[in-house]
Amino acid sequence: MEWLKKAIRVGMEWLESALDRVCGPTLNPLSQLGALGWFLFWLIAVSGIYLFIFFDTGVTQAYSSIEAITHDQWWAGGILRSVHRYASDGLVVVAFLHMLREFAMDRMRGRRWFGWVTGLALIGFIYVCGITGYWMVWDQLAQYVAVTTSKWLDALPIFAEPISRNFLSNAELSGRFFTLMVYLHIAAPLLMLLFMWVHIQRYNYALVNPALKLMIGTGAGFLLLSLVRPALSQAPANLDRIAATVGPDWFYLAFYPLMDRIGAVGLWWLVLVVFVLLVALPWLPRLRESPAAVVHLDHCNGCARCFDDCPFGAITMNSRSDGAAFSAEAVVDADLCVRCGICVGACPTATPFRRATALVPGIELPAFNLEVLRDQAETVARTLSGAARILVFKCPHGAAVVPPAGASVGVIEVPCTGMVPPPFIDFVVARRLADGAMLAGCREGDCFERLGVRWTEQRIAGERDPYLRDRVPRDRVAVSWAGPGQRADRARALASFARALIRPQGATQPGAPAQQRAPWREPLARPPRLVRYAALGAMVIAATGLLGFFSHTPTVRLRADTDAIVTLSFSHAGRSRQECRRFSPDEMARLQPNMRRVGGDCPRGRWPVYMQLELDGRVVYAGTRQPAGLWKDGPSTLFARFEVPAGAQQARVALRESGRDSGFDASASAELNLKPGQNLVIEFKQPGGFTFR
Amino acid sequence: MTYIEWRPEFATGIPDVDHEHREMIEWINRTLAVCGQAGAAKAAVTDLLGEIYARISAHFALEERVMKTRGYDQFADHKRDHERLLDEFREIMDDHEAGSQVIEERLAARLAPWFSEHFRIQDARFHRAGLPSV
Repeated sequence: MEWLKKAIRVGMEWLESALDRVCGPTLNPLSQLGALGWFLFWLIAVSGIYLFIFFDTGVTQAYSSIEAITHDQWWAGGILRSVHRYASDGLVVVAFLHMLREFAMDRMRGRRWFGWVTGLALIGFIYVCGITGYWMVWDQLAQYVAVTTSKWLDALPIFAEPISRNFLSNAELSGRFFTLMVYLHIAAPLLMLLFMWVHIQRYNYALVNPALKLMIGTGAGFLLLSLVRPALSQAPANLDRIAATVGPDWFYLAFYPLMDRIGAVGLWWLVLVVFVLLVALPWLPRLRESPAAVVHLDHCNGCARCFDDCPFGAITMNSRSDGAAFSAEAVVDADLCVRCGICVGACPTATPFRRATALVPGIELPAFNLEVLRDQAETVARTLSGAARILVFKCPHGAAVVPPAGASVGVIEVPCTGMVPPPFIDFVVARRLADGAMLAGCREGDCFERLGVRWTEQRIAGERDPYLRDRVPRDRVAVSWAGPGQRADRARALASFARALIRPQGATQPGAPAQQRAPWREPLARPPRLVRYAALGAMVIAATGLLGFFSHTPTVRLRADTDAIVTLSFSHAGRSRQECRRFSPDEMARLQPNMRRVGGDCPRGRWPVYMQLELDGRVVYAGTRQPAGLWKDGPSTLFARFEVPAGAQQARVALRESGRDSGFDASASAELNLKPGQNLVIEFKQPGGFTFR
Repeated sequence: MTYIEWRPEFATGIPDVDHEHREMIEWINRTLAVCGQAGAAKAAVTDLLGEIYARISAHFALEERVMKTRGYDQFADHKRDHERLLDEFREIMDDHEAGSQVIEERLAARLAPWFSEHFRIQDARFHRAGLPSV
């Protein structure tokens, strides 16, 4: 598992670094996959509502109304149908990438299980939405979906009557069924929206809208794809025939061909095992965590800055419990706390200038005591020398720090750069612990602890409390945001920060007021504009091409070209195992008067029903079906579908329902002339006996 | 000797805030008292100033919180004044660091007005705004 995680992570890192250079960190789609999912959801919802206006429920109306939407108003309904479909495919891709990424980057472990588990439920919802959507179109693909889904559901021992029997032949199909599908296709997304809301409950300031340019770009991509390769219906469904091949949407229906291989029960087991494994992942193996943040009430006045900044909603403001003159206090929910320390960075009492009393802030990570941190900073600072002494506060999730030649670099590891209180930077610079301080964190726009990078930037810029004091010269404060795959960028940033410190320009003497509040930073090395645009174009074409291709192709073979299909079916109660016995007068006398009306004893158990089919004297199907019900007193049901060679043949079908060992209780023969693709339904009904259709 | 005295007009009517105001006055008086002792250690004063800085930061944070939750209309002004005061206080700290000896009068001359001016003008205005309690 660990090596798999590492491998995915290396791949992701590489891809993300490349995208950072092409799109820039704020537009990198990989760092806002969740938000992109929300955007796709709205896109699907809006296009779906439009399509719903024109959709008709009914066996033939469903197909014909969609044909009308697609062709008569291709410029609106047609395009929206394609957008509806491709955005849905996109949602699958985005959801799985999101999941893969959170897994590879270890962001679903331990206390962060909630988003992971609710996300798994969302994947289920996406599939229910997609499958019911394909069903509604009632073309050949829908027929495949209907038959295969029914078969899958029928493998569960919870339905008395196989769902598959609803799709025996055109005669059985009811228009009401499409009303049900519409209902499901609206109810499922609504429930999904509820779960999407639940999914982000444990994240403060959850990002639900991607960057505007990214939304426009994604929308334009779908529009382009809709024009180049519009989503069209396949031939209308016809339950009396089975198409030789069908082109499924592989994003949603990849499981269907798989089921044809491993069987319905096999697929259930596969889904169950994978699902259980995925649900268990946050705890596999159990994450060792340091103690959660603690509040020191002696130093907490209830200012709520930690509450405002906690990325995981682990802090609440409660009424004061210690009788102090304040009205509120911060309370940490240890089950939600991920130990990032961003709350410590927000606490106004977390200032290293304090020395008259112990440096105990209002809120603190026990494993990263601030006094220890200050001592560490001072100790490390003493080892530095030269004109470019740099103290780096580094988080464990970003790129490694490699000191450049000619600079003297001391590294202090903190759980997140957001844990470093701005007064610490002030302290380092003002007390000349070093010539410059650098905050080295995760990739920009993609902080492991979600908001550490953002809050750090805003605190330095004087946009979020606590501000880094204006008087701290910003050319002595550097930020470096780089993921593990951006080591070279970090090395470059450190080297040029060191150079800048040696050749100070302008007001760089500590104590002089900052001219501007932006910290020093080395811009990301990005290729020339032309190369970037070319890469972006290639990316869009690749992404839309991928969607456009796997949304229809490759096709799946449902039967051999020369084969016909035979469907055997019944829902029929076998005979009673025992005849009813009339009570003797003695027995009657012993009964209470109101019980005497029954008059006898009728055991409820029934015989199983055996059915066999011979073609030209050869048995091609033989099966026994047990009666349903706890008392084995219900009907036996059969739905069996298999391929037979087309052509003229003699068929003999027979049924046994009375527990006898040989001979039959009913039988019928027919001269068949099966055409390739024909679906011959042989059904047994009482009364009436066998029918061939 | 008391350098700053609590005056009724300092009161904002918000118990949390007034409590901290009183505490702060105590700390400033304590610091100035240390300065006043013959041969006061510079480091001791540095540490005390650091302590006041932490408390004042926390106090402003709380005041800002109260103002925000009560929808105080002059929040931006008041907040700006807080930031200015913190900058000034840091300057006092740095000047003290840079100086070679503890000069009580100079510290007192800067600290006392620094504190009471803000009280008199900003906090009192907040008080007069007569906002409903949370």
